[in-house]
Amino acid sequence: MNGHRIMVIDDENIVGKMIKAVLEQDGYLVETFLNASPALARLKEEKFDVVITDLKMKGVDGMEVLHTVKSESPQTKVIMITAFASLDAAIEAMRGKVDDFFPKPLKIKDLKACIERLLSAG
Amino acid sequence: MKIVHKVIAANILDIVLIALIGFFAYSNVNLVLTKLHFAEIADDLNASFLEMRLSEKNYFLYEDASALGAIQQQAKHSLQALEDSQEDITRAIGKQNFMRLKDDLIRYQQAISQTPAAGPRKQLIQEKVREAGHELRDFSERITRLERSKVNQIISESRKWLFTALCIFLLSAIGVTHFLSLNVVKSFKKIVKIAHSISEGNFSRVDPPIPDDELGAALRAINSMSDELKNREEQIVQSKKLASIGILTAGVAHELGNPLNNISMMAQAYQELYNSLSIDERLGYMKKIEDETERIQEIVKNLLDFSKPKKAKLREVDLNGVLKKTLKLVQNMIVVSNVNLEVHLTPRLPAVYIDEHQIQEVLINLMTNAVQACSPGDNISVDTGPGTVESMVKVEVADTGKGIPAHFLPNIFDPFFTTKGASGTGLGLSVSYGIVKNHGGTIEVHSEEGKGTIFILELPIRRLQEETHERS
Repeated sequence: MNGHRIMVIDDENIVGKMIKAVLEQDGYLVETFLNASPALARLKEEKFDVVITDLKMKGVDGMEVLHTVKSESPQTKVIMITAFASLDAAIEAMRGKVDDFFPKPLKIKDLKACIERLLSAG
Repeated sequence: MKIVHKVIAANILDIVLIALIGFFAYSNVNLVLTKLHFAEIADDLNASFLEMRLSEKNYFLYEDASALGAIQQQAKHSLQALEDSQEDITRAIGKQNFMRLKDDLIRYQQAISQTPAAGPRKQLIQEKVREAGHELRDFSERITRLERSKVNQIISESRKWLFTALCIFLLSAIGVTHFLSLNVVKSFKKIVKIAHSISEGNFSRVDPPIPDDELGAALRAINSMSDELKNREEQIVQSKKLASIGILTAGVAHELGNPLNNISMMAQAYQELYNSLSIDERLGYMKKIEDETERIQEIVKNLLDFSKPKKAKLREVDLNGVLKKTLKLVQNMIVVSNVNLEVHLTPRLPAVYIDEHQIQEVLINLMTNAVQACSPGDNISVDTGPGTVESMVKVEVADTGKGIPAHFLPNIFDPFFTTKGASGTGLGLSVSYGIVKNHGGTIEVHSEEGKGTIFILELPIRRLQEETHERS
């Protein structure tokens, strides 16, 4: 029984759905959000082990999610997804103490391996 | 005739005039000198004649025999003096007068020499001598007087001529100066005006006729400069466009990134979950992949639409009707943004000759921009009315939003220019501009930062279009 809580925030519906489908098979508890505001509200109610967030989103963006999560729940891991075009921004995000980042198109296997690594290091 | 030639001609005329005046004055002075010289000689002769006659009087009245010798001596002396100065005298009074003077003197001399010592014959000769002496003196005095009066006449005439020439000279100098200031200054003003219009970005050529003088040369130079500037500007626009393609490509790559990522993730999940998926779920994955490829196709199609503008289908349309339809489309956006809308449509406007859909695109663009410039509570007004010229109808879209900074205004119709940061493509207004221009219309903008913006769109009515077609 895995039972780790994972949150996915991405304004593309399919991204969250696919990650959820694959990770649930491995026993993760996955919740998906299309934008960051309700996701941050949910984080106040529930502790998550990993937050996977897109960097560029309308309204609250990935950087803000990162800072909020790290200040309110430092042990929660944050993985940033970013379009290849904004790789420079991703490196900037690394400096902001993101746990890992993935460029799009996302490799789900790599993401899975990364989550496992982060949780076991945890 | 070139200006420089005109000036040179005027100067040559002046110089010739001065030379003529100088020559005239010189020859007059010479003449006066000759006459004065003669007057001197004549004075001497007169004095000599006077003495001769005094001696003659002594001889006849007091019978002073020695006086006869003196008379002969003086007559001889006078003749000698007359002959010595023959050239000068001839020049002054002419050969005829000289000869007469000489003849008179010789006659007198002969009369004297024939005078006997006494007797009735002496009486007779005495009369003859007196007569000749009188005539001689009289003639010589008359000529002297005449010459003096001639000198006076020459001087007064010279004065008159010099004054007239001076007047002509002054008038021509004033004329040349006036011509220069009028022509040259006018030319310079014309050139300055054209240069100003070019500096304002209006690269139009100077209309013929171009005069065949220095102004013409300057105007031709300006024309070629204007052409060159136009070429350069086109090159700059072209290179700007190329630079913009880079930006556009980045935007397109980003647009395409999301559906590509979705397809990739679904394909991965499909493989990962294959065994646990039902047939329907598998079909669902495939359907979604197909949907995402369609999304990519849509983006590519839109991009092609942008790069290849469709041919306008022009027909007579009521602009107010087009506006009403357009307002329905943007109504929701206006309501959501909490912006007040005022519409003033002038009734019974002449029909405009447009492609309705393209103009609708322009209007949507202008209204979207207006809404985006506004904060909640701001006003947008849409007005229609007759254009600035009879052949046009106008639409004004005004807002009380944040306005456009003055230094952005010259660029707002440029492709890919945007003030909205990442959320704008910079294509809306440039596409609108292209559409309006294709319609033979105009679009202009006035804006003040913090006060608002007004776009004025003018579209042609049918008559103008038909005329244009007939002409072309």
